[in-house]
Amino acid sequence: MKITFKIWRQNSPKHKGAIKNYEVEGLTEDMSFLEALDHLNELLVLKNEKVIAFEYDCREGICGQCGVFINGRAHGPHDNITTCQLHMRSFNDGDTIVVEPWRATSFPIIKDLVVDRSAFDRIIEQGAYISSKTGTAPEANAIPVPKAISDRAMDAAACIGCGACVATCKNASAALFTSAKINHLNSLPQGKAEEHKRVAEMTYQMEAEGFGNCTFTGACEVECPESISIINIAEMNARRIKSNLLGS
Amino acid sequence: MFFKKSIIALTGLFLCVFLVVHLSANCILLLPEDIARDAYNSYSTTLRESSFIKIIAYILYVSIIVHALYALLITLKNRKAKPQKYVLNHSKENSAWASKNMGILGTLILIFIIIHLANFWARIKLGLGEEVGMDAFGHKDVYEVTYSLFQNIYFVLFYTLISIPLALHLHHGLKSAFKTLGFYHKKGLQIIAKIALIYAVIMGVGFGIIPIIVYLK
Repeated sequence: MKITFKIWRQNSPKHKGAIKNYEVEGLTEDMSFLEALDHLNELLVLKNEKVIAFEYDCREGICGQCGVFINGRAHGPHDNITTCQLHMRSFNDGDTIVVEPWRATSFPIIKDLVVDRSAFDRIIEQGAYISSKTGTAPEANAIPVPKAISDRAMDAAACIGCGACVATCKNASAALFTSAKINHLNSLPQGKAEEHKRVAEMTYQMEAEGFGNCTFTGACEVECPESISIINIAEMNARRIKSNLLGS
Repeated sequence: MFFKKSIIALTGLFLCVFLVVHLSANCILLLPEDIARDAYNSYSTTLRESSFIKIIAYILYVSIIVHALYALLITLKNRKAKPQKYVLNHSKENSAWASKNMGILGTLILIFIIIHLANFWARIKLGLGEEVGMDAFGHKDVYEVTYSLFQNIYFVLFYTLISIPLALHLHHGLKSAFKTLGFYHKKGLQIIAKIALIYAVIMGVGFGIIPIIVYLK
């Protein structure tokens, strides 16, 4: 199939970027979207041009590294998938595909389609961990966790930190990401010890990084590859109120 | 910022309750003229003379101002978080238009509130503009103020059309306020979403249709 790619090219954070057109032939429907970009890059190498920078790692939808804005949607035209799970059969021969990096002040562009998501790491550092004794691993069933609670924690834990929530949110809010991390640990007995500190410090960092506020448009949960529910944000808000009233 | 958002939600919910009372009172206008005039005027006189309502009125003024001001501050912060827009953005595939344009809808409502206050509040409570007459019982003839305003087709159109952004704003606002305030029960939120829709339709149709009915009276 033949596709016209319109891709954001930007040399560095300091340079101005612009959309550049590439007409690519020889693509097949079986190719993943990232393979199509690989194919384009091979053509650029042969022409002695600079390749397009984009991020990926596992290419099976679990690492959260890939992530670009494709034809006006985070991770492409389908709901709840990663960029690497998108295949060229989702497009028609002769289509034009616009590819842009995530856009948010807190996700500055490093090069082309690669953005710096270390703001997420700094939020994680504030409390998305538990303190526990090292040494022999404790007996797995020593702390009973009701199934409903472990399910909820697991659903939140599924967040891979890809940044699609921030990318698609008109306010560039990181509320879905932060709430998933907080609710994952705060709903489990293992996370109780640092419960209030976690909520206060992670949400403080979220705001300090310059992410916007959640206005519940609901776009994030549609684009989230892990289908993290927006109800997590409401739950985080409840925890914020509770930790403001009770926390240290 | 979370504090500001919570205040926006709380003031918004208060304004939602206020609108129910306001619309209920407006329904008096639908009665036959001789009954409506008397009932409406004595109702508004009771409100003006009640010290409880006086306190509520001040809470109302503060709520409107704080709701709008905090929303403006938060919107400015949100814009700073995403200054560069996408070349292509199909956001309608993942979110409702109203949820993304609460600022525009709110601004329209605020403009309406200012004009609405100039039409009624300024004349009746502040005594500005044309003097309000008295009815047969010695009450300020607020009914006449309302009736004569809605003889002007442009005001009828304005009041009716503004009920559309009002309904859209209320629908998203009511749904979101509970989530902002930390209500996260899944089924409860589904029920709230339905209530918000019904509420928004009733408010939109109610406030939108009464000026037309008064015009045609």
